[in-house]
Amino acid sequence: MKRDLVLVAVLAAGALALPFVASEFAVSLALTCLMYAALSSSWALFCGSTGYLSLATAAFFGLGAYSGALVLGQLPWPFVIAIGAAVAAITAVVMGAAVLHLRGTYFAVLTFGMTELIRHAVTYWEKRVTGTVGRVLVDVPERETVYFTVLALALLAIVVSIAVRRSRFGLAMAGIGADEQRAQTLGVDTRLVKTGGFAISAAFAGAIGAAMSVRWTYIDPATVFSPFIGFQTVLIALIGGASTLWGPLIAAVVFSLLAETLRLQLPQLYMMSLGMLLIVCVLYLPGGLASLRWPGRPAP
Amino acid sequence: MKAPPLLEAREVTVRFGGLIAVDAVSVAFEAGELVGIIGPNGAGKTTFFDTLSGVRAPTSGELHALGRRLTGAAPHRFAQHGIARTFQTPRVFAALSVAANIDFGLQFAGRHRAAPASLSNVRSILELIGLSARPEQAAGSITPSQQRLLEIGMALATRPKLLLLDEVAAGLTENEIEAMARLVRRLRDELGLTVVWIEHAVRTLLAHVERVIVLHQGRKIADGAPVDIVSDAQVVAAYLGDEMAEAA
Repeated sequence: MKRDLVLVAVLAAGALALPFVASEFAVSLALTCLMYAALSSSWALFCGSTGYLSLATAAFFGLGAYSGALVLGQLPWPFVIAIGAAVAAITAVVMGAAVLHLRGTYFAVLTFGMTELIRHAVTYWEKRVTGTVGRVLVDVPERETVYFTVLALALLAIVVSIAVRRSRFGLAMAGIGADEQRAQTLGVDTRLVKTGGFAISAAFAGAIGAAMSVRWTYIDPATVFSPFIGFQTVLIALIGGASTLWGPLIAAVVFSLLAETLRLQLPQLYMMSLGMLLIVCVLYLPGGLASLRWPGRPAP
Repeated sequence: MKAPPLLEAREVTVRFGGLIAVDAVSVAFEAGELVGIIGPNGAGKTTFFDTLSGVRAPTSGELHALGRRLTGAAPHRFAQHGIARTFQTPRVFAALSVAANIDFGLQFAGRHRAAPASLSNVRSILELIGLSARPEQAAGSITPSQQRLLEIGMALATRPKLLLLDEVAAGLTENEIEAMARLVRRLRDELGLTVVWIEHAVRTLLAHVERVIVLHQGRKIADGAPVDIVSDAQVVAAYLGDEMAEAA
């Protein structure tokens, strides 16, 4: 725990100094790393401990991006982020009420279905009601502001993950992952815990969506609700080791670097290596790459 | 005025499609009772337990704990009202340590409940169930009979008033069964718990409980003292006939 915090502080200091010393390219690369670090560790916060495989990250990211874009320029920057987080969290509570009693494949497929539903609903709204195909974001904050915001969100995601692991809330989620009904009979209000966990992880995805959308200056449903963002988040967390703290973080850095370097030159190779690694992990390392370093470490 | 029973089932029925697993069973459990539930395989014993602990909502009928209606409530609400259960196959958290398994109940349902001294913390509960030797061991690595004890310890950690035991003696050796029966009696005598104990092995149960409920094909066919039960013609025909013939 203490070592974890020290390591986080060191990494944070490095990331904080980066914009002042490194090239623009390196900073944008670091931004991608931070985005996936925040997305996958907040995804793992709920899904890694409870075993509920959510494919709704793209929905929360996209909703955060859209709702942030709507209030951009009218509200101060921190509120833009907060509104992205709030809209995503509220959606998660509503969505959770409908699907959190399902387990396994049913839950995964339904969260994905709802993500598509939300994407199409937003597309329809834009076409029919507001009459636009996307939104051009003017009045965007500085590059550095975006970088520091995403850095702060990534740090917050990690610190929250550490705190949750040590709390009764984290214990309840681990109990749900191990044997949900047993946890219930021992006094865990599983519906409340699952909804809360789902909402927290959605809030991070929404906040990141709001922060990242301004980087693109133009957003449309296809970009911000891209299933690729959702799948990549899940793959990173699973390959890294969703039940560990460091697994998703390390994997996020490795894959963002791979993505940026390979995707431009050899896009097929990148997707292939991602797929291969996932297959290898599911077959031989169900605990993810982190289980090599921390074998058999229990979930909490 | 008489205090309402600790837990009361009124006309509880559970239907699975066309099959009636529990058929209009009414039972009241008073504080401090040690009650056994027997019945042949498929009599609906475990399904009935599932309704008593909130794991399964009855198709019809009502459940009341100390006069408060709990029908259809989630299992954690039953736990909060002092109703704890074990499962037929121990369901311990295998990856957690023995001590952490006990602590789980203390952190949730048992958190704000008053408790006798022997249920005050992890160590006292481990001592009570006789598992204090290696609390740091993973629960998945202890023997099945130890897991059965741990399962009881987990339920005790919710600091219950009523303990529902589902076949805790199944698969144990003769000596272990005796030890288990002594533990169950201690829970009632020393901790003042109400214990409801399902067992398939009739002889073990009849020797230790003061009241027996017999389920047969989902219906309650008898409810009384063991001496009366063994001479009840209906019960003998339904169940004890074979078992007693074997024993003789």
